[in-house]
Amino acid sequence: MSRTPLANSVEAVLFVAEKPVSRGEIAKVVGATPRQVDAALLELAQGYTGTGLRLAHDGDDWQLVTSPEQAGAVSAYLGADRLRVSPASLETLAVIAYRQPVTRAEVEAIRGVNCDQTIYTLMQRRLIEERGRREAPGRPILYGTTWEFLECFGLSSLDELPRALTPEGGVLGPAEASAKTE
Amino acid sequence: MLNSQGPNVSIDGFDGPLELLLELVEEKKLDILTVRLGDLADAYLARVRALATLPADEVASFLALASRLVLLKARSLLPSLTPIADEDEGESEEELRARLMEYAIVRERAGALGDRLRSGERAFHREGGSPVNLPPRGGDMSALTAAWGRVLALAARQREEDMVAPGERYSVEDRTAEIEQIVSERGEVAFSELLGAAPTLGWAVVTFIALLDLYRRIVIDLEQNALFTDILIKRKERPPVPQTPA
Repeated sequence: MSRTPLANSVEAVLFVAEKPVSRGEIAKVVGATPRQVDAALLELAQGYTGTGLRLAHDGDDWQLVTSPEQAGAVSAYLGADRLRVSPASLETLAVIAYRQPVTRAEVEAIRGVNCDQTIYTLMQRRLIEERGRREAPGRPILYGTTWEFLECFGLSSLDELPRALTPEGGVLGPAEASAKTE
Repeated sequence: MLNSQGPNVSIDGFDGPLELLLELVEEKKLDILTVRLGDLADAYLARVRALATLPADEVASFLALASRLVLLKARSLLPSLTPIADEDEGESEEELRARLMEYAIVRERAGALGDRLRSGERAFHREGGSPVNLPPRGGDMSALTAAWGRVLALAARQREEDMVAPGERYSVEDRTAEIEQIVSERGEVAFSELLGAAPTLGWAVVTFIALLDLYRRIVIDLEQNALFTDILIKRKERPPVPQTPA
């Protein structure tokens, strides 16, 4: 099965890119419409199944990354250390990842503890970042996850966040979970 | 201090009151949906007492929840009192239960994320580094061949010149006058022609300095149409001296 020429062009651009490339920018450089690019990206993503590469995206930004199964070899080559995150930071990260963009106060309301320190730690490790401010009294800072977060957890996109079980035993998707608590 | 089941201070935060309550529910194998939270008040208080060694502001959040649980317990023991308490004092049992359930989900998700992290199955992207350096435009295979041919020709000539006694002297002034003459007669001349077919280093340097001098004096114009092509030396058309307005 051979790929379409457009998929090959998109692959070549993503191969040389050192940072995520937006759908619009890909469309511009390969001379196609954003919709055609979507189709090419889908084709590529399917083509990478079972290979050492993967197509990851955060919103409309796309990047070619190594597949999580190859983490051992790539870590050894890069001399990368394994990231360690405390349980408290993981809880804060979980709230932000599933409910982003979210304010510190909202994270604290859910965890029931002060989260200054964990948010600071997560920012330092670039797992989360500021995403503007909520148009509400005090204009609190909004937080969201980063590309580093997706990479460190081996996720191709936020859609791959692990699903949690509800207390009733059913599987809870990110959207349902947010709706349930609002 | 109680055993490790109790809340403990960690480097970047401590386990909060909700986690303590959730732990009690799980420890007693109770159903989070049906447990009467007031029933947990005593066990919760026992744990909180052990927290006395913690800084006051950290204990405060535990105490707030403790008071809530005691109130819920009191209400369940004396149901007739419930209507009296409608001065309203914060969340009801169901609100607290909803919060506890949401926290349970967060903790489960945090656990799943932690598992992912520990499995080490992460992705990597192409690392920074410098972008590919592109050569200047205009080069091609034939240009490379031609350049190599010129190098070979020069190398061959070099040996002949070695046998010629040095001592040839050039003067920049003479050369400048010569070039000025050529340019004024012909309008333009190629740099390669000025150099001649077999320039010695001294000749090339003198010619070059003469050109720079002429250019500085605005006698000539220099032009190169494309990279690596011959340089054209042109007579400078002097603009008429502007009339200064009165």
